This record gives sequence, C-alpha cells and structure tokens, in this order.
Amino acid sequence: MKCVTAGEAARFACTARRNNSLSSSGRLLVFGFVFAVCMGIALAFTVLLGAWMILPFAGAEMLVLYLAFHHVGRHAADYERIAMEGDSLAIEVRDGGHVRRFSLNRQWAQVVCAGDGSRLALRSHGRELEIGIHMNGEQRLALGSALKRELKRELRSIG
Amino acid sequence: MEAAHAHGHGDHAHHPAGIMRWIQTTNHKDIGTLYLWFSFTMFIVGGVLALMLRMELFQPGMQVWQPEFFNQLTTMHGLIMVFGAIMPAFVGFANWQIPMMIGAPDMAFARMNNWSFWLLPPAAILLVTSFFVPGGATAAGWTIYAPLSTQMGPGMDLAIFALHIMGASSIMGSINIVTTILNMRAPGMTMMKMPLFVWTWLITAYLLIAVMPVLAGAVTMLLTDRHFGTNFFNAAGGGDPVMFQHIFWFFGHPEVYIMILPAFGIVSQIVPTFARKPLFGYSSMVYATSSIAILSFIVWAHHMFTVGMPAQAQLFFMYATMLIAVPTGVKVFNWIATMWKGSMTFETPMLWACGFIFVFSMGGFTGLVLAITPVDIQLQDTYYVVAHFHYVLVAGSLFAIFGGTYYWIPKWTGHMYDEALGKWHFWLSMIFFNVTFFPMHFSGLAGMPRRIPDYALQFADFNMLSTVGAFGFGLAQLLFLWAVLKCIRGGKKATDQTWEGAEGLEWTLPSPPPYHTFETPPVVK
Repeated sequence: MKCVTAGEAARFACTARRNNSLSSSGRLLVFGFVFAVCMGIALAFTVLLGAWMILPFAGAEMLVLYLAFHHVGRHAADYERIAMEGDSLAIEVRDGGHVRRFSLNRQWAQVVCAGDGSRLALRSHGRELEIGIHMNGEQRLALGSALKRELKRELRSIG
Repeated sequence: MEAAHAHGHGDHAHHPAGIMRWIQTTNHKDIGTLYLWFSFTMFIVGGVLALMLRMELFQPGMQVWQPEFFNQLTTMHGLIMVFGAIMPAFVGFANWQIPMMIGAPDMAFARMNNWSFWLLPPAAILLVTSFFVPGGATAAGWTIYAPLSTQMGPGMDLAIFALHIMGASSIMGSINIVTTILNMRAPGMTMMKMPLFVWTWLITAYLLIAVMPVLAGAVTMLLTDRHFGTNFFNAAGGGDPVMFQHIFWFFGHPEVYIMILPAFGIVSQIVPTFARKPLFGYSSMVYATSSIAILSFIVWAHHMFTVGMPAQAQLFFMYATMLIAVPTGVKVFNWIATMWKGSMTFETPMLWACGFIFVFSMGGFTGLVLAITPVDIQLQDTYYVVAHFHYVLVAGSLFAIFGGTYYWIPKWTGHMYDEALGKWHFWLSMIFFNVTFFPMHFSGLAGMPRRIPDYALQFADFNMLSTVGAFGFGLAQLLFLWAVLKCIRGGKKATDQTWEGAEGLEWTLPSPPPYHTFETPPVVK
C-alpha cells in the first residue's frame, strides 16, 4: 500500500497492489527453465530413440504451464487506487485486463470499517463499494482512518 | 457505483454444506481432506492385496491363488500403492499445508485443484475393476515391461487409461503447487525462509512436471503397439523392448524421489519442533534436496544392469547412484545434528520421525549395496530388492505420512489425538514392519526370486515370518483409523500453537483454522 496526502494531481491518493512474490522476469526464467528441461527430454527421446510420442505430451504440458503463468501475469498488475480529486472521491480497480472506475461525491461519502479491519467499504446513497481487497487488516484500518480524516477535513473546510 | 460485495473479508463461517461441498469445493483444506481420505482408502485396498499375496506365500507350494492371479495381485498392489496411496497422500499434505505455511489464501488455481482430485476416483475405479474384465487385471508388474504388457488382455488397457488420468491429475497438481509457492508467498517470505516441507514439494513438483510426459508417452506407445499396429517395442517389427525399460525408468527413478522428497520435508518439520531447536543446516538441506532431484535423472539404468550395457555405462550409473548417498547423508546428518543437545520429547509424531530416520537409513544402505553393479547382477529380481524398496517406501514415505498426520491433525481438527493410541500404532507398525521385511533380505540374498507364487523349501521359515508380520502390520493400521476418527469426533482442545516448539505461519492460525485463511497475506519478518 502506498498513500500520499499532498500530491500534485490529487490531495489524497492511495494505491494498493496484490501480493506477487514472483516478478515477471522470474516468471519468464522459471518458464524458460522448465520448458528447456521438458522439451529437451522429449526431444532427446525422439531423436535418440525414436520415441516421438513423448513430444506431444510434453508440448501439451508446456501449454498448460504457459496458460497458468499467463493467467498469473495478467493479474500480477492488479491494483486499487483511491484518490480525492476535486469534488469527487475516485476509485479505480484493475482486475486482470479490466479497469473499472467509480466516482463518489466526497461530501456524501462515508467510510465503513469493521473494528478488526476485516472489511473496509465506501458508502454513498445507500450502496457500498468494498475496498482494500489487496490489503491486510492493519492496512485497512490505517486506510479507513486516513480516509475518515481526509473526508472530515474536507467537510470542515466547507463549513 | 456497483453493488456491494455480498460478504466481507472476515466472513469465515460461510461455506457450502452437504455432499456438494465436497464435489464442488475449491477450498484447499477440503481438497486436502479429500486427497487424504482417498489415499487412505487406496492404502487399505493395496494393503488387502498385499495380505492376499502374503497368504499365498505363507507356505511353499500353491496354496490359495492361481499363479496368474498372484501376478495380478503383485502388479495391482504396486500400482495402487504408488499412484493411489503414497502420491495422493503427499498431495493431500501439500493442499492442506502449503497455503497455510506460506501465508496464501488458497492454491493459485482453485478450480484446477478440484479437477486434479476428482480425476483420481475414476482412475482408481478403472484400476480396481480391471480385476473383473476378461483375463483379469494386468499382471506385468507395476513396471509394465514390454513385450509382456503388449500381450495382455483388456485389463492392461484399463491400467494404461488409469495411468494417463492419474498422470494428468499429477501434472495439474504440480503446476498448481509451483505457481502457488512461487507467486503467493507472503511478503517477507523469501525462498530461503520457506519451510522445508514447502521446499521439498516445490522440487517434487518440478520433478513431476519433468517426468510425467515421459510416462504418458511410454504408456501411449504401449497402447498403440497393442491396438494400432505400431512397433515401438516389438522386435519383430523393428522395435526395441529394451527401449521401454529405458523410458520407463527415466520416469521411474525420479518417481522414487517424488515419493520420498515430501517425506523428507515432513520429517524436517517434525524434528526441530520436538527437539525444540531450529533445523540444523537449513540451506544445506535445500541444496541436498535439489542435488537428489538432479541426480535422479542420471541414474535410471541402475534398474537395468542385467539387461546388458557397456562396462563404461555400468560404471557411470553405478557411481552416479552411489553419489546420491552424499546429499541423503547430509540430510540424515542434519536431522541428527538438530536433535543433538535438543530438549527432546517423544510424542507420536517424533516417534514416527525417529523411526523414519532409523529405518529409512537402512533402506538407503541396501540401496547402496544394490548400486554396486556386480552385486546388483546377483540380487536383481530377488527379495533383497523387495526388502530394499519397502524399507524406503513403507518405512520412508508411509512412516513420514503417519508422522505428518499426527503432527498436523490437531491443527486440522482442533482436537488432540489419543497419544496412547498413536504410540501403540507406532510401536506395532515399527515391530511388524521389521518382522515382515527384514527376513526378506535373507531370503533375497539366498536367491528367492520376487513375483513368483511358489518357492523352494529353504525359504519357508523366512516367508512364514514375513506373512505373520504382514498381517500384524495390516491390523496395526486399524489403530490409525481409530485414532484419526476419534480425533475428528472430539478430544482435548488443541491450542493454536499445539506443540511447544512449533514454528511457522500455520501455527499462528486457530485450531482448527477457519474455512478461509490468510485472505490478506501476513507479513513475515
């Protein structure tokens, strides 16, 4: 989680990314290694012994591994960004290839936070949007407090 | 604005109920439980087949079964124990433990995880029902050597399909495990901070990915030789039956390590807990495991010394095989060094771990004996080999599975198991295991061939002893079932940490853990 409270474009901005313990270069390296070993074995059997039927199975397996890593890669860049921009509280959520944007009037927005940090949501006009999906309980509590503080400050400045 | 999510992050109580929970589940704990029960069921089936074998071998002469059926029993006992009992048990442990040990919410591909499991029951049904097709089950041994396997009835085809399905299940499981471990570790959990069990499973998954296509190719070539007129293994058509052995053992030897590396991981978790000391030589354990995995690819022909090969090849495979003793020795040394001056207690999991180290080392030593080419040529296909691989697979893999179950079952169920029952189970198993298999060294050294239902009178005493031991060992396993069921139904409440010396993320969770855990990753310092 990375939050700033005095940015240029936004007064308050917070970005949370999903946990990825494998970098994209690491993914490439692992796939390359496994691909080289598996296809090397299959090709060796094909060329040296004529046992070519191992090759299609190795190919199919590598395809499944590629799809698995591709799926992981697509979601590696998932994030959630909350920013106060002008009169609105903007929330941007990237999930796989899709980016969804929500905008709330910051004078009406309320922060709903469970006491143990298990759930954090923004409420406006009777509807709720859950946020902090990529955060742990402590981080949700911290974000909830920061958002409440910022919204309160905004209301005070209007008053 | 979109509608709110139906459940909060902390809504742990919600999960499906009834039979559909188990069929549709994508939860790693449920799937782990399914794997473990499946494995135990297959262990009982394979065990009954073993007792049927021992019944026949109780006395010399043909007693109970026809020779053809005896060969079917031998084959199916091996296939069921390897592919149905040992491998799925370790996948069950992986499902339960890996996400909790690395701070992940679940496996990376939860739905694929469900498929991986549900492929297994149809494969098991194919294997077991092959006894009832014309000609009976395959009788070519678990190694299904050609050209014997190209000549058998439809039972062989069912076994081939079962192996294909189980292979697909293993591949999906391995890809899931690799992706989970590499990409879903909690922040701060670097590779060299991972629990040893996770490390051993990561390396095992790589081995599975590398060798499963080789098995799939081998059995497909068998199938096409049998039904589609190819001649891969038919010498009359220009094929080579010895090629099957090379292909099979290129898969088969790493397969041996697939069945033992996770056991090393379990023992490496148990020993530090009950010695109340950190594992001695953590990094050397990781490197030793990797070395064993790498070496497993260059030793396959030690299973084939009697087939005939150049002296240089015999020397290479002999020395390469002996080399495996070095990293294995490092592991045994480290476990003992962990115990050295530790505040040890001997609860049931520790008894199994100590039993594992003692008896597995004996299996390792007989492996070294068999690695010596001229000795192996004498002992090939004798009961000495049977004794060796049962010391490794029963006293190795199975003992670690029992130890791991007693170690983690308080976490899984929230109840402590009955310590007295666990200890009875250990001591009876340990004694009867040795009564069963130790005499086989002598009958093997004296020349008794394996996979033969009758034998010369000189082997009668050893065989009678082995049969008595086998029935004792089999009955002792009912104590395990009793202990597990008793623990599931109730018992003393297990604390979160359960064991005084236990360390790791899984012990920070409640016992039993909620249905969903680590939905947001913990930070490892």
